[in-house]
Amino acid sequence: MNIIIVGLGKLGATMTKQLVKEGHSITVIDTNSEKIDSFVDAYDVMGVCGTGATCEVLEEAGAAKAKLIIATTGSDELNILCCLVAKRMGTESAISRVRNPDYAKQMQFMRSELGIDMVVNPEFETANEISRIIRFPSAANLDSFARGKVEIAHVRIHSDNILCDMPVHELRKKCKARVLVCAVQRDEEVFIPSGDFILRYDDIISVTGTRSELSVFMKQIGIYKQKIKNVMIIGGGRIAYYLATLLSDTGRNLKLIEQSEERCLKLTDLLPDATIIHGDGTDQDILDEQNLQSQDALVALTAIDEENIIVSMYAESKGINKVITKVNRHSYSILKDIGLETVVSPQIVAGNLVTRYVRALQNSAENSQIQTLYKLLGGKVEAVEFIVPKNAGYIDIPFKKLDLLPNLLIGCIIRNGKIIFPGGDDVMKANDSIIVVTANRIIEDLHDIFV
Amino acid sequence: MNYRMIFYNIGRFLLVESALLMIPAVMSLINNDGAFMAFVITIAALTLTGFVAAVKKPQNNNIYAKDGYVIVSMTWILMSLFGALPFVISGYIPSFTDAFFETVSGFTTTGSTILRDIEIIPKSLLFWRSFTHWIGGMGILVFVIAVMPKTESTSMHIMKAEVPGPTVGKLVSKLRASARILYGIYCVMTILQIIMLVIGGMPLFDSVVNSFATAGTGGFGILNNSIEGYNSLYSEMVIAVFMLLFGINFNLYYMMIIRHGKQALKSEELHWYLGIVTASVLIIAIALMTTDYTAGESFRYAFFQVASIITTTGFSTANFDLWPVICKIVLVLLMFVGACAGSTGGGIKVSRLILLIKGGRRDIRKAINPRSVETVKLDRVSVNEQIVRSVSVFFGMYMIVIAASALLLAIDGHDIVTTITAVIACVGNIGPGLAEVGPAGNFADFSVFSKLVLCFDMLAGRLELIPMLMLFSPYAWSRKYS
Repeated sequence: MNIIIVGLGKLGATMTKQLVKEGHSITVIDTNSEKIDSFVDAYDVMGVCGTGATCEVLEEAGAAKAKLIIATTGSDELNILCCLVAKRMGTESAISRVRNPDYAKQMQFMRSELGIDMVVNPEFETANEISRIIRFPSAANLDSFARGKVEIAHVRIHSDNILCDMPVHELRKKCKARVLVCAVQRDEEVFIPSGDFILRYDDIISVTGTRSELSVFMKQIGIYKQKIKNVMIIGGGRIAYYLATLLSDTGRNLKLIEQSEERCLKLTDLLPDATIIHGDGTDQDILDEQNLQSQDALVALTAIDEENIIVSMYAESKGINKVITKVNRHSYSILKDIGLETVVSPQIVAGNLVTRYVRALQNSAENSQIQTLYKLLGGKVEAVEFIVPKNAGYIDIPFKKLDLLPNLLIGCIIRNGKIIFPGGDDVMKANDSIIVVTANRIIEDLHDIFV
Repeated sequence: MNYRMIFYNIGRFLLVESALLMIPAVMSLINNDGAFMAFVITIAALTLTGFVAAVKKPQNNNIYAKDGYVIVSMTWILMSLFGALPFVISGYIPSFTDAFFETVSGFTTTGSTILRDIEIIPKSLLFWRSFTHWIGGMGILVFVIAVMPKTESTSMHIMKAEVPGPTVGKLVSKLRASARILYGIYCVMTILQIIMLVIGGMPLFDSVVNSFATAGTGGFGILNNSIEGYNSLYSEMVIAVFMLLFGINFNLYYMMIIRHGKQALKSEELHWYLGIVTASVLIIAIALMTTDYTAGESFRYAFFQVASIITTTGFSTANFDLWPVICKIVLVLLMFVGACAGSTGGGIKVSRLILLIKGGRRDIRKAINPRSVETVKLDRVSVNEQIVRSVSVFFGMYMIVIAASALLLAIDGHDIVTTITAVIACVGNIGPGLAEVGPAGNFADFSVFSKLVLCFDMLAGRLELIPMLMLFSPYAWSRKYS
């Protein structure tokens, strides 16, 4: 698919990398020629230097024949203009990053009247992800499928855990919970476990199940964390604002520490329910003074990665139940080694959204459609939710008679709101939701899962 | 440096070479010319080496610019080493150094030969000899990128090292698609030339082999006196025109295909290229008319020889060593100029020459008015100062390589014209030089050491210096700088 990406900032770069990996033909546009040169050298893309909203530049980038334009420059207005111009020139779909909350209210208008097919607000999506984690703190990270009916929780196995050295097939019996281990990360490698796979200390496992079953599972293996009541947020930027609004109606106590007095005053207007503190949230004295120890969760959202990491490490050392760290540069994989398990990054969150959209765009001609897609365990594993199309060849055939690819697993089937963990005798039926978990492979259609 | 990834890539390229060797092997089997076993042994050796190197894909598959250069230069050297085996094993070129020289000359599209009598060599070996031109012309690694199912995104480093010219641009966003377009154009043009030559009455085998040598701008003939031996005005003109066509930047053909023909015809490099050709033809033709040639003959020989030398092909229809000095000087200067960037030709490249001249003019103006701000423009677009600088450095290094090689060759004691033109012809991938290495002579009389120096020159010239020179740089191999 021909895709044009405008702006090679952090988001544009992440998306380019992800979409190149999926095998699309990418043309990148940026005003900085050096940035383009280094990108063209390193990735299989073509570069055009110039302003992405001008016809001349878009023409050179092949907008007339492009299937999709993704505008990710720093300016909302420029992004919208890029999309408008490209669409007029013949590009089929447009995705724009729009960050200003003022515009966020008119998403529907932009979609229907301006023809921007998808508006991405990385900060809002990140806040959304964080709020989900806060609602279910036991897991390091959490993704939900089938409109929240099924979740995938990522859990690290500590040395005193009963899961240590346990084969996967014993897990359901021992834990008395209906859950399924669908992926295991050991060091840098990722496995899709079979029944006799033995779990080890320090593995990160991805478990699917309903939220209640997952809670049971967490309690059984002794890592259940108390419900989070008090949340401390460091940094009062956009993500903090969105997060506070998302959490405000859940009855949690929010304490937000922000350095700029002006911003604090604004936030008190915007967030009447939260406690706004004016001070340097990365200062240990202030954290202690604000009673960090009595908090259930700390969310580090300052603009500087290093500060977020240091604050999080301090909070971990104080034994805070749940510590969430926002990191912009997600390329470093050492964060989990220093004890930070829950790391979110706006680029990755937004990148996943766009990848999902692109996959769906690719499949729109066919019957089967990707509902949701998550990249798990650092992008090495994908969990994809499909709706089983009518009249497909594989319907009503028991799984034991179907030849599934190796390193692939059916996470679960959701039929009429009921969750089924399929065994060899189960079958797929039309309109079922199916969650497929794979490692190192790209699945675009349900057909692809068979040998 | 990621050695395992380097081995893996080189292994894959060697496997491709073994596949390409199947064609002459089959020919040899059908003709039963006695070279079949030589091909089979070579293919076996290549497959084994390639398989061992490429059997397992390394976990860490990151390659960076340096690894790309090493892969390219090592692949070219190894392919030439293996490609020389059929000549040695079959016994037609008993000395390995000679066979290596011949193969390097083939892959680098130089066309210099050490063979005194070409016509006794069996057809299958002659086919392989000319086929190396065709493979080397567009680049073996580009070929692999085009046909291999999955190329790493970092292959750009490889393409950069192999495609000639000061800057390398892709035609479309995917490298593999770009490589396919290039090879598509290349194949179509080659087939067109074969058809044109067959129509003119040249035997099919000769048409194919000569077209390969033209397409790669190589210049291996299969008659002892090159194209002169056919004595056909039509064939000469077809070959001359196609030589010039293969010397044009292939990106321009792509632009014509996607209906940007006007833009392609505006290319400044194309104008300079055609201008240089016209001027040279005129000078040589007028000079020739003062000798025994008629006006028609003068233009016929001048046109063919200018096309042959500027595109660095090296075919000959006349022994230009006997021409007036002015003609020889023009031809030697054309050896430096070379063809357009992004073509299959060698030499310094017309676009570099333009940038050099414009850069010089800019500096003179700046000397006159130090406050003036000017950039060097090509096709009405400002060229990055970094590129202008690298062009000057390239020119300097080119001259240094020629000087150093001439010094090494001088040990042999040949006369000065032979020594210097031999080096120029090899670095520029042209083929024949003047005097003893002129169109009537060959490179057989040089010592083993001189031949190896010339092999290095040919490879350095084809890969545009940096990749080959890098192999000798301690920085490339030291951990301290990796």
